[in-house]
Amino acid sequence: MQELGLAEQGSLRVTPDGENRIVIEKDLSSEEMILNMGPQHPSTHGVLRLECRTDGEVVVEAEPYLGYLHRCFEKHAEMTDYPGIVPYVDRMDYLAAMNSDFAYAIAVEKLLDIEIPRRVEFMRVIVSELNRVASHLVAIGTYAIDLGAFTPFLFCFRDREHIMNLLEWVSGARMLYNYILVGGVSHDFPKGFSERTGEFVDYFRPKAVELQKLLTENEIFVKRTKGIGMMPADVAINYGWSGPMLRGSGVEWDLRRADGYSVYPELDFEIPVPDGRFSDIGDSLSRHLVRAMEMEQSLNIIEQCLDKMPSPEGFDPRAAIPKRIRPRAGEVYGRAENPRGELGFYIVSDGKSTKPLRCKARSSCFVNLSAMKELSQGQLIPDLVAIIGSIDIVLGEIDR
Amino acid sequence: MSEYFRDIASGVTTVLTGMGITLRHFFNAVKRKGDAGIDDDNYFRQVDGLVTLQYPREVIPTPEIGRYRLYNDIDDCIGCSQCVRACPVECIEIETIKVTKDDLAVCGKTSDGQQKRFWIPVFDIDLAKCMTCGICSSVCPTDCLYHTQVSDFSEFSRENMIYHFGNLTKLEAEAKRKKLEEEKKAAPKPKPKPKPKPKPVPKAAPGGAEG
Amino acid sequence: MSTSLNAWSDALSGFSPAGLPLGLLIIAAIPLVFIALYALTYGVYGERKISAFMQDRLGPMEVGKWGILQTLADILKLLQKEDIVNKEADKFLFVIGPGVLFVGAFLAFAVLPFGPAFIGADLNVGLFYAIGIVALEVVGILAAGWGSNNKWALYGAIRSVAQIVSYEIPAAIAILCGAMMAGTLGMQQIILQQQGEYGFLHYFLFQNPIAWLPFLIYFISSLAETNRAPFDIPEAESELVAGYFTEYTGMKFAVIFLAEYGSMFMVSAIISIVFLGGWASPLPNIGALALNDWTSGPLWGAFWIVMKGFFFIFIQMWLRWTLPRLRVDQLMHLCWKVLTPFAFVAFVLTAVWEIYVK
Repeated sequence: MQELGLAEQGSLRVTPDGENRIVIEKDLSSEEMILNMGPQHPSTHGVLRLECRTDGEVVVEAEPYLGYLHRCFEKHAEMTDYPGIVPYVDRMDYLAAMNSDFAYAIAVEKLLDIEIPRRVEFMRVIVSELNRVASHLVAIGTYAIDLGAFTPFLFCFRDREHIMNLLEWVSGARMLYNYILVGGVSHDFPKGFSERTGEFVDYFRPKAVELQKLLTENEIFVKRTKGIGMMPADVAINYGWSGPMLRGSGVEWDLRRADGYSVYPELDFEIPVPDGRFSDIGDSLSRHLVRAMEMEQSLNIIEQCLDKMPSPEGFDPRAAIPKRIRPRAGEVYGRAENPRGELGFYIVSDGKSTKPLRCKARSSCFVNLSAMKELSQGQLIPDLVAIIGSIDIVLGEIDR
Repeated sequence: MSEYFRDIASGVTTVLTGMGITLRHFFNAVKRKGDAGIDDDNYFRQVDGLVTLQYPREVIPTPEIGRYRLYNDIDDCIGCSQCVRACPVECIEIETIKVTKDDLAVCGKTSDGQQKRFWIPVFDIDLAKCMTCGICSSVCPTDCLYHTQVSDFSEFSRENMIYHFGNLTKLEAEAKRKKLEEEKKAAPKPKPKPKPKPKPVPKAAPGGAEG
Repeated sequence: MSTSLNAWSDALSGFSPAGLPLGLLIIAAIPLVFIALYALTYGVYGERKISAFMQDRLGPMEVGKWGILQTLADILKLLQKEDIVNKEADKFLFVIGPGVLFVGAFLAFAVLPFGPAFIGADLNVGLFYAIGIVALEVVGILAAGWGSNNKWALYGAIRSVAQIVSYEIPAAIAILCGAMMAGTLGMQQIILQQQGEYGFLHYFLFQNPIAWLPFLIYFISSLAETNRAPFDIPEAESELVAGYFTEYTGMKFAVIFLAEYGSMFMVSAIISIVFLGGWASPLPNIGALALNDWTSGPLWGAFWIVMKGFFFIFIQMWLRWTLPRLRVDQLMHLCWKVLTPFAFVAFVLTAVWEIYVK
C-alpha cells in the first residue's frame, strides 16, 4: 500500500490489487475527551483518581493519580519506636490489618533473631487467614457492586461481620487490631474461640457456595469479566505483580509456599490458579476466581491449624516480646503474603536507636496498580471499572 | 449458532438460579439473627434471616477485652509517664508535682500497695487523637490505664473529646507546687534525687523506656 | 357490562358546574393521585423493603411503625434542599429536562384503564399511543444529560437514548402480537376479549401456545425502556456516578425519581393489559362458586389491575436486586441479535396461529 497524499479528511491510497483505483479513506476518529474519574467516584474504591482520555466510551488511555490518602507512613515510622509502628501498619491495608502486622513482625523479628513460640505461630496463621477471608469477601463484594450486583455485596459483608466479631473477641478491635506484635501476640485466644472459629468454617462453606451460584456463575457476570483486562503471565511478572493478581495470570507463586514462613510448610493447602476452563487465563474473571478459591483454602488452613495448635497450658503470648526493641545495626527485608500480594518491609537499623533509620513498605496494591495504563488501553468505561475492581486496590496501602 | 443458543440457555438458567436464591432470602426475612455476642454459644445457631440490628436499641455486646474509650483510674496512677512516651500519636498529656514528704500519706497508695510519689494535676487524654492501639495500657505498670468497652462517645465539640483525669484542681495544684518549693528551700542541701522514677513492676512491656 | 363501561368516566367528564370543566380535571388528577400514593408507598418504600429483605437487612425502620413514613421524611428533606443549577449548565434544558421526563412518563396513564368503568381516554389507538408517547422520555433524558454540562451526565444520556430507541423495536413487535390476538388497539377492547367466566384461562397468555414468547420479550424490553437493572446503564452508579441526573438536586431529582416509578407501573400495566387481562378477574366460576362474577366490577377491576401491576413491579425489583449490570455492547447485542429476531419469530407464529389454527 502506497501513500499518495493526504486529503483534508483522509488519505489517498493505491489498493494492492488494482493500480488505478484510488480509495479515499475518511478519517473517522473523533475528538478525544478527557474524563476525570475520581477521586470521588463510586468505583475507584476510595480516592484513586484516573485521568482517562476517551474516544466515545472507549478509553484510549487511563493514567492513575495517587496521593490523596498519603499519610506519611514511612516518615512516621522513622519517628516512632518499633512497637509503635504496628498501629500504623494496621492502617496501611485496613482490610487485612492482621496480614500487614504479620509481615511487619516477620521483618523486625528477622532483624532481632528471636525465637517465636510455636503456639504463637499457629495463632498468627489462624488470625491472618481469617483476615484473608474477610479481605477477599470485601474484594468480591465490591467487585459485584462495581458490576451492578448489590445483593452479593451485602451477603459478603454479612459473613465478614462474623469474622470481625471473631477478631474483635481475640484482639479487642474490629478492624485495626494491633494484635500481632513483634515477638508474639497481644492476647491469648479467649476460651471457646477455637470452637467458634470451627463453627464459622462450617457456617461459611455453604454460604460461599451460595455466593458462587449467585454471582460467579451468573451469565451476565461471566460476560462482563471474561476476557476483560487480559494480563499475560510474562507481562505480569515484569510489572512485579504478586498475590491473586499474579496467580490469576496462571503463575503458581505464593509466598506462603515460596518463602515457607511461619508454620505454613507444615500445612497442607493448594495454591489455586485458574485452569482456563471457566475463564481465560489472565482476565478479570480469573482473578476473581482465584480469590474465591483462596477463601476455600484459607478455611482448610484454619481447620488444620485448629487441630495442630499446641495446648494453651502455661502459655504466655507475650513471653518472647522483647522489653525494649533495639535491633543490631543492619538492614532487613521481611515479606508475607497479603490478600493482595506481597507486602514487604525494608527496615534499616543503626543499632543505637529504638526507632528504625528507614522503614520502606513494599505495597502490593501499588505495584499491581502500576499496570493500570497497560490494562486500560482500548477498553470501554464499564470494562475499566471491571478492571479496577479486579485489581482489588486499597488506597490506604497504595498511598501509605 | 449452537453457541448462541447455549448462551441464551445458560443465561436463563443462571438468572433463574440467582432469582431463586434472592427469593429464598426474601422469604427468610421473617427470621432474625438476634443480638447474641460472639462469645455466646448460640452465635452460629441461626444462620438464615435478617442480620442487621437497630443500633441504638439493639447492640452486639462488646467482648471483655474490647479496646474502645480509654480510661485512667487516677487513684492507681503513679504518674510515671510511660504511657505518654509509648503513645504513637501523643494523645496523652500529663503534668506531675512531686509529693512533699508530709503529704505522702495524704496522697495515698495504689490498690496494690505502691506508694504514690506524684500529684497529677493534669492527665488529659485527647480521645479524638487516640487510635485505640492499646500500647499505653500494655506499658502501664499499675494497670490503671485501660480501654473500656464503651464504643459510642461522640461529641458535638472537639474540646469535649479531651477527657480530664487529673486529681487536683488548679488551685490545689498551685498550693502543692508552692509547698514543694518551700520544702526545697527548707532543705536545699540533700538535692532531690534526679528523677525518683518508680520502677515499673516487672512486666512484659514492649519498648517504651527511653533508650 | 359494556353499557356501564366508562359510565363513571363519561359522567365525570360531563360534570361541569357553572361552566367549569371540573370533571375533566378530576379525571386527570385521579391517575396522578394514584401514582403519587403508589410511588410513595409501594414504589420507594416497597423497593427499599424488598431489597432489604433479599439482602438480609431490615431496611427503613425508624420513621413510623416499620418505617412506613420514611418516604415522606425523604420528600420533606428533598423539598428543603437547595435547588442547585450549576453555573455552566444550559439552564433552559436543565430545568425542562425533568419536566419532560415526568410528563412523558405520565402521559401514557391517560389510556390505562383502571377498572371497567374508569379510563382517562378510551382511544381506539390506545396501545399505539402508549408505546409512542413513552419515546418522549428520551427527549427529557437527553435534555437533562446535555443541559447538565457534565461528562458523566452526557454519557448517561447518550446511552439512554441508544438503549430506549433500540428496545422500542422488540417491545413494539411483542406488543403487536397481543394486538393481533385482540384485533384492536383500544385498551378496553383488548381487556374485554380476555374477560370471561373461566377467569385466567381467557387471558391471551393462555389462549395461544406461543404467547409466552412475546410476553417475555416485552417484559425484558420494558426493563430496558424504564432503565431498570440489569439494563440500568444510563444511571449505572458504579460507572457513571448517577448517569443523566448526576447534577440534579432537591425536587428536580425527586421528579426524575417519580417519573422512573411512574413508567415502571406504566409498563407493568401495559403488559398485564395485553397478556394478562388487565382488570379482568383471574378467578374462574366453578359451578355454584361464581368467583369470577363475585370479583368483577369497577372497584374489583381497579384492584386487579393494580395488583397485576404491582406483581410485575415486584419482579422488576427482584431482578434488580439479583443481577449484575450488562455492558453497553452486550445490551445492544441482546436487543438486536436476541430479542428482535425472537420477536419476529413470535410475530409470525402468532399470525399463523391466529389465521390457520384458531
